[in-house]
Amino acid sequence: MPLEFGTSEWARSLEGAVNASSEYRNAAAAWGVGFNGNILFAFDAGGPLERSAHLLLKLEGGRCLGAGFVPGPSHPDAGFTLRAPFPLWREVLTGKTLAATAILTGRMRVEGNTIALLKHAGAHRSLIHCVASLDTHFPGA
Amino acid sequence: MDRLYQLLQNRIEGVVSTPDEFHPGLLTNFGNLYHGTPRFVVAPATARDVAATVAFAREHGLPVSVRGSAHSQSRLAISEGGILLAMSSMRRILSTDDSGGPTVDVEGGVLWRDLVRHLAPGQLVPPVLTNNLSVTVGGTLAIAGIGLSSFKYGTQGDNVRELDVVTGTGEKVTCDPKRNADLFWGTLAGLGQTGIITRARLDLRKSKPMTRTYYLLYGDLRRFLDDAKLAMDQDRWDHIESWASPCPQGTKPVAGRRQVFARWFYPFHLTVEFHPDHPPNDAEMLRGLKPTELLYTDDVPTVDFLERMIPVFDLWKQGGTWKHVHAWVETVLPWERAADCIESVLPDLPPSILVGGHVLLWAAKGKSSKSRFFMRPPGEDLVGFGVLPAIPPRFWEQARPMLDNLGRLTELMGGKRYLSGYIDWSEDRWRAHFGDQWEPFCALKRKYDPDSILNPGFVPFPAPRSAGKAKHPAGAPAGD
Repeated sequence: MPLEFGTSEWARSLEGAVNASSEYRNAAAAWGVGFNGNILFAFDAGGPLERSAHLLLKLEGGRCLGAGFVPGPSHPDAGFTLRAPFPLWREVLTGKTLAATAILTGRMRVEGNTIALLKHAGAHRSLIHCVASLDTHFPGA
Repeated sequence: MDRLYQLLQNRIEGVVSTPDEFHPGLLTNFGNLYHGTPRFVVAPATARDVAATVAFAREHGLPVSVRGSAHSQSRLAISEGGILLAMSSMRRILSTDDSGGPTVDVEGGVLWRDLVRHLAPGQLVPPVLTNNLSVTVGGTLAIAGIGLSSFKYGTQGDNVRELDVVTGTGEKVTCDPKRNADLFWGTLAGLGQTGIITRARLDLRKSKPMTRTYYLLYGDLRRFLDDAKLAMDQDRWDHIESWASPCPQGTKPVAGRRQVFARWFYPFHLTVEFHPDHPPNDAEMLRGLKPTELLYTDDVPTVDFLERMIPVFDLWKQGGTWKHVHAWVETVLPWERAADCIESVLPDLPPSILVGGHVLLWAAKGKSSKSRFFMRPPGEDLVGFGVLPAIPPRFWEQARPMLDNLGRLTELMGGKRYLSGYIDWSEDRWRAHFGDQWEPFCALKRKYDPDSILNPGFVPFPAPRSAGKAKHPAGAPAGD
């Protein structure tokens, strides 16, 4: 049964998926260690998404310590924000566009230290994979 | 028969050929990414032929692409509908001179390999040699030319006394650091945009007859880099060479799909030249260095050392990977970002991509080069990082996003790309690469190739103000 994107149930499910992923645990072992690794995914309104959505993931040492949708467009607990229009997020989550390509070409904006983020590219690819793997009902789908 | 064929042939001593005579190898370069069929291939006999060909091309609105050994991987050394000037016909070693420091005069199509052999009896060598010696003097000087001794002597272009250059107007101009200096510095690492090198006077140095190479191995990148810096500063080494070498460990999921992953090691080969009656003291040579292991110590004649990669390349040729797509991403990184950049790339690099290729690391000194257009990051200590894959053509589209991202990442990290490799840039990225040298580069192009006929299709220069007869877009077939 797909979960509705943007709900607290979906966010909790994502937290569980991240913590169950040995890929993420290995790839992100150094992420958030000694620095604020919390990431805000900013799904800007666009396409079928009428209102922007903001997902805060609390991440440290290969674990997700909390996930939830928060009011946007920014959040004081976030060390990094990845911001893109919803249609681009869908491309990333369906594997049509690599997140790294979206970031490096400037289509997905990074708020925070881009170089620090890119040093851990494997961690973020694994995180995106966790999001993409959730059985989700997205707007417009 | 092409109506221009005889007119062109009448102008030159060399040989003009038409598409029915072309060897298929002429239609692409080492990259095997871009292909083109020239209207004519010209094998010039002399610099006068080169000048006459360029003048002819200008009269008839034909672009001219210059080809040495075609080791480039982007839109260089190939032509679509224009004249391909195959410089391998100009491979004479002209003369050596010992007054004022040894030099040698060579034609632009001379292979470094032939020059090394020619000079060996006199124990003379060019200060810098590329790993692949089967490339031409004119070709590497037009890119920069980096080798194992670049940390001491800069690029090959930094070791040139004088050039004869045929400009885009068809004039042969002699230039050096004082005479026509803008053309001299604009032609070295100038990507063939200001002129065609027909003769170069190269500095030489005396070598010693033997080399001893210490094969060190490191398991930690940062420790390797510390030692690389130390080795550069020790003033006891003649050549330094290093790689990142994968040891496959099994598979791991990458975005859910299992992929072979590797533990990476860092071989570091340090070489010193010596006379047989004065062999180096090993303990003294290695003092201060902290490798994981010293694997091997190899004594070979210096000329054999300089040719050490020839058997490797022969092996790649025999294995068929020489014909694969080569989309090499080589970047000179600022020292302070190098380890972070390399460590973010290697964990996800499939070792299989390196069959018939390798990952190069080279420590470098920024101030060892005076080159104006060999762009490198500011700072004295630099690290070259090259991912040099050989990709079966059917996998190219799959590999391409990864290599594109690798290029962008290294640029974001403050790196400057080495331009013989895979470059597929928009004008913005060209501007960013050259920085404050972009406008001077464009100005030299306008001055020495006003109709923009030389090596089109690679650098997206602004269109010439008065296009003259060469109104065709760069790289496109000409109409005349």
